[in-house]
Amino acid sequence: MDGADNFRETLFMAFTSIEFKGTSFTLSVLQLKSVKLADVRADLTKKIAQAPDFFHLVPLVVSIEKINDSLDYQAVKLLVEELNFTFVGFTGTVDKAQRQLIRELGFSFINTAKALTGKALTGKALTSKANVAKNTGEKSMFTDKATVATQTPIAAPDSGAQKVSTPQVALFTDKIHRGPIRSGQQVYAKGQNLVVIGSVSAGAEVIADGNIHVYGSLRGRAIAGAQGHHQAKIYCQNLQAELVSINGNYWLSESMEEHWDSPAYINLTDSELTSSKLI
Amino acid sequence: MARIIVVTSGKGGVGKTTSSAAIGLGLALKGNKVVLIDFDIGLRNLDLIMGCERRVVYDFVNVINGEATLNQALIKDKRVSSLSVLPASQTRDKDALTKENVGKVLEELGKTFDFIICDSPAGIEAGAMMALYYADEAIVTTNPEVSSVRDSDRILGMLASRSRRAELGLEPIKEHLLLTRYSPKRVADGEMLSVEDVEDILSIPLLGVIPESQAVLKASNAGEPVILDTESDAGQAYQDVIDRLLGDTVDFRFLQTEKKSIFSRIFGG
Repeated sequence: MDGADNFRETLFMAFTSIEFKGTSFTLSVLQLKSVKLADVRADLTKKIAQAPDFFHLVPLVVSIEKINDSLDYQAVKLLVEELNFTFVGFTGTVDKAQRQLIRELGFSFINTAKALTGKALTGKALTSKANVAKNTGEKSMFTDKATVATQTPIAAPDSGAQKVSTPQVALFTDKIHRGPIRSGQQVYAKGQNLVVIGSVSAGAEVIADGNIHVYGSLRGRAIAGAQGHHQAKIYCQNLQAELVSINGNYWLSESMEEHWDSPAYINLTDSELTSSKLI
Repeated sequence: MARIIVVTSGKGGVGKTTSSAAIGLGLALKGNKVVLIDFDIGLRNLDLIMGCERRVVYDFVNVINGEATLNQALIKDKRVSSLSVLPASQTRDKDALTKENVGKVLEELGKTFDFIICDSPAGIEAGAMMALYYADEAIVTTNPEVSSVRDSDRILGMLASRSRRAELGLEPIKEHLLLTRYSPKRVADGEMLSVEDVEDILSIPLLGVIPESQAVLKASNAGEPVILDTESDAGQAYQDVIDRLLGDTVDFRFLQTEKKSIFSRIFGG
């Protein structure tokens, strides 16, 4: 055991009432595209008006990725707090000096997993989500939301990120629906996996932020990883879906020929959906 | 306690009214006190199928508005005295009905009758919702054809979410599948969905399969519900439906193409 470990052990052993842990969360990220805060306020207010409950007290990270001009950080914080978000900090791929400046002003700066590896955010998930929204013609709240806020799993804050190994496993609980989901019905497992014990009819829609399991035939639409979970999967006992989508990447039934009418699961590798035999 | 049964489908023209009339008359012939209610306000048809169109004086909307009493509006069937018809209004629209006043009428009818059969209008709008709201059971009338099956699926979703039983968290509406205009020959030729296909998609218990039959049109035009035509396969199939509704187990008939007799083979009949 080396010195550092020894030190950490004594440090944590000393406090029995508290314990520090590293974990990852999915947070909403507001991508700023303009420094004109009046415009931002107007757009944001409009967005909130569409789903007031959905945004109320949501923890929000503001991304300054696309901002080149100088920005009044204090004003941004006040603005989002005034609109009833819980302000967490800033994020984005920016130079060290700017990061330093933000910290000096007393705000957290959060590195995204991508920023840590030096890769810029591509915004791909965003465009593909927008495509789904357009293609399906649905006004689903979360697909729509993708146009202002992409959600990115973040690593632990900057300082500790390299040292503390954070489990990148998203822990979703299950929402269980017993019985069939009929044409025209929509079931959304927000922040959860969705387990359907029954069939999903043509014209029905099942959505989950995590995985979707259908113990029956999947004939309607299934949208997994709805808020940007790349590892989400869709399992069903019989694949006859109208549409499957994971993290904004979607397939219409014509792409499912290989495992059509048989037990299958769908997952996402890079940005390609693949289907596999289930049993 | 009266059993309130809604005959519904989502899609129009699949045989809701024909089935309502046959089932209502069939139950009455077995000695039950039955009332048939036409919920299709503005498109009154049930009176024609029942053959009582010339005896309509007051209607459902008159009763609701307090312009007539139930006894004035109910038309007693001339063939079976235990059967009555409450006709729809032809001059009003579906907004004339509200949950409260429909509930009152049904409660009143429940005191006298064993069965209340609600003939639903097509669609999923207010009129259809009103017909299914108070139901204890639903007969989902479906043709073996994809669009009808999808609409039935939709209405099953409504039964499970928009009915009084669903709103109060009571035991859900008992669902029955009634497959009408079934043609075993076309199923064999692959032109029509089979009973198994429809059962697989809708996954509700099968109440009956009514074969496509010339007798149905004839019966409708004559105002004599097809169940009275005991010679016809459709009439017999409805009779089986009645027995099943009353708790008997009856084998399904008319699911296979008829074996041609030696005569028809020789004479090409």
